Amino acid sequence: MTAGTDTVGTESAPTEADPAARAGSTRGRLVLKGIHKSLGGKEVVRGIDLTMEPGEFLTLLGPSGCGKSTTLNMVAGHLLPDSGAVEVDGRDITRLPANRRSMGMVFQSYALFPHMTVAENIAFGLRMRKVGAARRSRRAAEFLELVGLDGMGERYPRQLSGGQRQRTALARALIVEPDLLLLDEPFSNLDAQLRVRLREEVGALQRRVGTTTILVTHDQDEALAVSDRIAVMAEGAIHQLDVPETVYLRPATDFVAQFVGEVNVLDGTAAGAAADGHRCRIGGTHLVTATPVGTAPGDGESVRLYVRPEAVRVRALPEAVSGKGGPATTSAPAAAEPGLPGTVEATRFLGTRVRCVVATAAGRVEATLPFGAEVPGLGEEVICAWQAQHASLTARP
Amino acid sequence: MTTAREAETATATEASGASGKPIAAGVGGRARRLLGAVFAALVGLFLLAPVLVTIASSLTTTSYVTFPPKGLTLHWYAELLNRPEFLDSFLLSIGVAAGAAVVSSALGLAAGLAIHRYPFPGKAVLDRLFSSAFAVPTIVLGIGLLQWYAQLGMASSPLTLLLAHLVLTVPYTVRLVLAGLAGLDRSAELAAAGLGAKAPRVFWHVTLPAVRGPLIAGAFFALITSFDDLTIALFVVTTDMQTLPVRIFNYLQYNYDPTVTAVGTVMVLFAAVAVVIIERVVGVAHLFGADPEN
Ligand SMILES: Nc1ncnc2c1ncn2[C@@H]1O[C@H](COP(=O)(O)OP(=O)(O)O)[C@@H](O)[C@H]1O
Ligand SMILES: [Mg+2]
Repeated sequence: MTAGTDTVGTESAPTEADPAARAGSTRGRLVLKGIHKSLGGKEVVRGIDLTMEPGEFLTLLGPSGCGKSTTLNMVAGHLLPDSGAVEVDGRDITRLPANRRSMGMVFQSYALFPHMTVAENIAFGLRMRKVGAARRSRRAAEFLELVGLDGMGERYPRQLSGGQRQRTALARALIVEPDLLLLDEPFSNLDAQLRVRLREEVGALQRRVGTTTILVTHDQDEALAVSDRIAVMAEGAIHQLDVPETVYLRPATDFVAQFVGEVNVLDGTAAGAAADGHRCRIGGTHLVTATPVGTAPGDGESVRLYVRPEAVRVRALPEAVSGKGGPATTSAPAAAEPGLPGTVEATRFLGTRVRCVVATAAGRVEATLPFGAEVPGLGEEVICAWQAQHASLTARP
Repeated sequence: MTTAREAETATATEASGASGKPIAAGVGGRARRLLGAVFAALVGLFLLAPVLVTIASSLTTTSYVTFPPKGLTLHWYAELLNRPEFLDSFLLSIGVAAGAAVVSSALGLAAGLAIHRYPFPGKAVLDRLFSSAFAVPTIVLGIGLLQWYAQLGMASSPLTLLLAHLVLTVPYTVRLVLAGLAGLDRSAELAAAGLGAKAPRVFWHVTLPAVRGPLIAGAFFALITSFDDLTIALFVVTTDMQTLPVRIFNYLQYNYDPTVTAVGTVMVLFAAVAVVIIERVVGVAHLFGADPEN
């Protein structure tokens, strides 16, 4: 399991928190309208539309080369879109040069000024705004403290560790109180432990200062851990834009499903709406439920389901149905319950959890059993089931 | 001096390596160290001898150049004052050298930026040309320039001399600037722009500091190369307009009095002063972190 399992696997419904409520932000409402951009004769951004609320933390998540940085650079003003518009707080800034926008940007390579001290780096934006030296150094000291670099103002960037450099870059970006904070793979040059620590710090800092923030990353753990919303991108287009829980549990496309973590893909036919979702017939007879992405499919239409292993619950099949002898019981027939019956084919101990592989009529289904759950034996007949809100139903591509 | 130190280090390493033989080690080690020191001294002497001989023989009381000097006098330095043509030549050389330093820095910066940043037709050819310009023998360059200037009807002037020297020095500054730019993170410029810096200020605050070291080194190289050049100047100068090396060269064909060694000593002094000044400037640049890794 590589996905951000810390944020999922709970039974509670995804929290549709209102990101705008954060820290009383009123500034930094970003709107991208139909942005297209070609580079080197290739269209790398193909029609991006999105709206960010003030104070929101949005992540552009996608594989390398999908156009994330290109999109970010159009927001920053380093690139001009071929078509489309960039608006901040209702003002069209599409053609405004970068130096006249109010954006703080942080790069993977830190991009510090090597011949300036840390304090001078941080105060650079104020210097460009003709702020006096005394006020500059006072503000720089405040921001050094904000990012936990107190007393390091007189050092040069080369004397800092990677994490300290990135903190400096962050302070340098924030000191100008930008409309938007743009982070382009800011943690990718750091080692794994530091990466996790710094992203938590950045998340906390962002909530404190309330600056509308776009993070660009190819790391789904990172995206799931810090974002209010995630825009999953592939080949220059947004495949899904939603809160992390929804993106994780109810992927809208094959691409999102595969990119954001491990997933069970099940094909079937739509079988009408249910109270908590939509029914779907798998392998001809077995009914399961899922939540349609977009408009609900008509009955009998071919559909595809995505279910994360964490969302799958494995239950032992009642004796009667399993056909392991014994007289017919009076218990309710298992067929009345939604679920996909199958045989346990393998179980794997993964430290904090157990992975269980079940062979069903629709192919293998993988389930992650929660810590402490009873592990079914090999060959045991079981039912795989899930809540409708933990599976997505899409038209079959 | 570096040579001497390296020789010492090498010997010391060998000496410690020999400590596998316990008894002979002490004696052998000491002998080796001594040998190393002698070798280093010899190398140093070999490098410095011509300069020392020139300086010493400029002090002789004889009317011909001789070493060791017979007696001690500053007569030949006083004699220099009676020869204004040496002063004229010195001023010409200094002027052209300073011009070469300034112009090749500016051109080197412009060409380096263009090659580093922008695609343009012939860019690859130009880049290749700048890297291989050193390989052209200066005498060939001199002959070629003589032809060119004749074809173009350009009369000899400090300007034609400067142009000739630029052919030597610009490729070098371009290479240096390119090396400097290769070490500059392009995102730093984007970051500066995003923080409100207009293009000229981005250049001033971010781009220029990255190539400051290379520009100083390039200017120094151009200054010395131009000041020192005899081969090309021989083809480009006239009897009225002679650089100092040409003046000395011509003078030596008919005279062999210690005036030339006095001039030579002055040139050495000038070069030494230039080195000290540059060292100061580059040293200051160091303080400001122009050279991050040292
Ligand atoms: N200046 C450029 N010229 C040509 N192609 C470019 C240029 N910059 C980026 N590209 C291409 O555009 C695509 C998207 O790049 P980018 O936005 O940097 O991707 P990401 O940040 O998602 O990894 C890539 O295929 C890249 O090769
Ligand atoms: Mg990128």
